[in-house]
Amino acid sequence: MRLYAICVYLFLYIPIGVIALFSFNAGRHASQLQGFSTKWYGKALSNPFVMDALETSLVVAFCSALFASVFGTMAAVALQGIRGPVRATFDLLIYVAVMIPGIVIGIATLIGLVTVFDQLNPLIAAIWPDGFKPPKLRMGIGSLIAAHTMFLMALVVIIVRARLAGMDRALTEASSDLYATPMGTFRQVTLPMIFPAILAGFLLSFTFSFDDFIIAFFVAGSETTLPIYVFSSIRRGVTPEINAIGTMVMGVSLLLLITAQLLLQRGGKKSR
Amino acid sequence: MENGGYVGEVEPAGKKPIAELRGVTKRFGEVLAASDLNLSIAEGEFLSFLGPSGCGKTTALRMLAGFETPTEGDVLLDGKVVNTLEAHHRPVNMVFQQYALFPHMTVAQNIGYGLRQIRPRIPKAEISERVSKALDVVQLAGFEDRKIWEMSGGQQQRVALARAIINEPKLLLLDEPMAALDRKLRKEMQIELQDLQRQLGITFVLVTHDQEEALSMSDRICIMRDGRIVQIGSPQELYDRPNSRYVADFVGTSNFFNGKLQRSTDGLSEVLLDNGMRIQGMPGDGLVDGQEVCVSVRPEQMKLRRQGKGLEVEVHNRIFLGEHTEYLVTHETLGDFLVLAPRQADLSEGAFAVRDKALVSWETSAALILDRN
Ligand SMILES: Nc1ncnc2c1ncn2[C@@H]1O[C@H](COP(=O)(O)OP(=O)(O)OP(=O)(O)O)[C@@H](O)[C@H]1O
Ligand SMILES: [Mg+2]
Repeated sequence: MRLYAICVYLFLYIPIGVIALFSFNAGRHASQLQGFSTKWYGKALSNPFVMDALETSLVVAFCSALFASVFGTMAAVALQGIRGPVRATFDLLIYVAVMIPGIVIGIATLIGLVTVFDQLNPLIAAIWPDGFKPPKLRMGIGSLIAAHTMFLMALVVIIVRARLAGMDRALTEASSDLYATPMGTFRQVTLPMIFPAILAGFLLSFTFSFDDFIIAFFVAGSETTLPIYVFSSIRRGVTPEINAIGTMVMGVSLLLLITAQLLLQRGGKKSR
Repeated sequence: MENGGYVGEVEPAGKKPIAELRGVTKRFGEVLAASDLNLSIAEGEFLSFLGPSGCGKTTALRMLAGFETPTEGDVLLDGKVVNTLEAHHRPVNMVFQQYALFPHMTVAQNIGYGLRQIRPRIPKAEISERVSKALDVVQLAGFEDRKIWEMSGGQQQRVALARAIINEPKLLLLDEPMAALDRKLRKEMQIELQDLQRQLGITFVLVTHDQEEALSMSDRICIMRDGRIVQIGSPQELYDRPNSRYVADFVGTSNFFNGKLQRSTDGLSEVLLDNGMRIQGMPGDGLVDGQEVCVSVRPEQMKLRRQGKGLEVEVHNRIFLGEHTEYLVTHETLGDFLVLAPRQADLSEGAFAVRDKALVSWETSAALILDRN
C-alpha cells in the first residue's frame, strides 16, 4: 500500500522535477544533462516574444482576478441575503459553473462573443460620426479578460460564500443593534472579516488565469499569452528555455496558491 | 388561556411604559414562536422572561430589538408603534448570548462602536473618554487595547455589557447573558448586573431559563410557555400566588395532589383527591366546580409531627441542609412528597430518622388549588 502511494507520487512529480532539473541544463539538448547553468533563464527573460506574452498574461490575470473578486464578492454577499429555493438554485448553478470543462467555456465564450460582436459592429459603425474610422470589436485582450472573469467569478463566489456562511449572524446583528446602517455594517464588520477570503479568491483567480491555456486558446484572437507561447514553441521541440519558463511559472503559481491557502486557514481560525 | 385568562398585572402600577407588546404574534412558517403577547415594560424596571427552551423568549426579545417583525400585533417603544423600524434606528441595545464581539477589533474599538456610528460625528477624544468610563463601570479599566480573544469568558461578557450601556439605551436587552459562565462567576455577575441597573437607571429586559436568576434579580417576571405568557408578576406574587401548576412548578418547588374541584364557596373550596380523600384549599381564579385541578403545597409550609392530626407517612430519605432538613416522605396512596423542616423544628420535636412514622399537616391557606396545566 505504501509502495503504491510512493509510486503514484513519483509518477506525479518526476516529470515536474525533470522539467525543473533540465531548465538548469548547460547543454542545448533537452534530453541529456551537461552541467549546471542558469543561462536559459537569462535567455528566456531576454526573449522579446516571451516578455510580450508574459506581459499579456500578467495584464489578463490581474484584470480578470480583480473583476472576478469584486463581482464575485458582490454576488456572494447578495446570495447570503436570499433564502429558500432561489438560493439553492443559484448555489447549484455556481458549482456547475466551476465544474464545466474549460473547453466548453472556451467554445461557448467564443461563439457568444463572436455573435455579439457581429451584431454590435454594424451598429457602432452606423452611429459613428462620418469621416472617422469606426472601432471594431474583436477578439483580443478584452475578450480574454471577459472570459476569464466569467469563469473565475464562480470560484470567488464559492470561496467568499464559505467564509460568509462561517460568520456568526449575531455579528452583523450586533452591528445594526449598535446603530450601524446596512452599508456601515458591511464596511466595518462584514468586509474586514471576509477580506482574507476575497484576497485568497483573488490569488487563486490570478493563478488560474495565468496558467490557463484552453479558454485563452479560443478567445485570445491575435494575442499571445505565456501558455499559448509555450504551446506554439513546443511544436518546434522542447528547448531548455521552455523548461525555464515552465519552472518559473510553476514557482510563482505555487507561491500564490500557498499564500491563498494560508489566508483561508488564518481567516477561518480568527472568526471562531 | 385555559385558566380564564388572568395572567397578572400586564401593566406595572403607576409608571410610564417604555416599551409595550400588544397582541404580538410571531410565526416562522408553521412554527408559532410567540402567541398574543401582551406586556408593558415600565421605565427603570428589571423584567425577566422565564421559561423552558424553545418557549419563545428570544423571539420576544428580538422583536423588541428590531431583528424580527411581528406577524400580528404591535410593538411600541416610547408610545410609538415600531413594528417595522429597523434595529439601527431603535434606541435599544442588546447583549447577545454568545456576546457577538467583533473579533477584528480591540476591546476599546468594540465598546466605542455604537458611538462611532452616530451622526454628526462625536469627537474622537470624547469617544475614548466615554470608553474608559464604561470600562471603569464594568471593572475592566486598562484593558482598552486587548484583543477580544485575549479575554476570558467573564471579561468578554463585561465588554459586551460595556458596549451596550455606553450608548445609554432606553432599553437594554440581555439574552441569557450568563449562560456561558460557570456557577460562581454567574452569581458574581448577577449581583453586578443588579447594581449596575440601579446605578444607571436603565430598563433591563433579561431572558433566562434559570429560575433562581430570574427570582433573585427581577422586579417582575414574565413566565412563558409554548409562545404564550402564562403569568406576569413580582417574584413574591409568582411564588405565593401561582395561577397554574406550571408556574408553581417552575417557580420554586412544590408538592402536587391531583383531584376534582368539588364545591367552590367564597374563599375556601374542597377537592376530592384521586385517592378518595377530601382536602380544603384556596381556589385560584377562574376555576369551575367539577374541574380537574391539583392542590399545591410548598414543602416549607408542611409540618412534620409525631402526634396530632395529619397524613400518615413514612420517612424515606433525609437530607441535612444546615438551616433546613429536607425529608422525602411516602404516603400510602398519595405517593412521595417533600417536606422542608426548619432547624428549629428539628431541635424542638427531635429529628426524624429514615423509616420513622410521621404525621404531615399544613394550614388550609397554604394549600393552593390550581389549574392542572
Ligand atoms: N428564525 C427562525 N426560523 C424558524 N423557527 C424559529 C426561528 N427562530 C425561532 N424559531 C422557533 O421558534 C420557537 C421559539 O424560539 P426561541 O428562540 O424564541 O426560543 P427560546 O425561548 O429563546 O429558547 P432557548 O431557551 O432555547 O433559547 C422555537 O420552536 C424555534 O424553533
Ligand atoms: Mg433563546
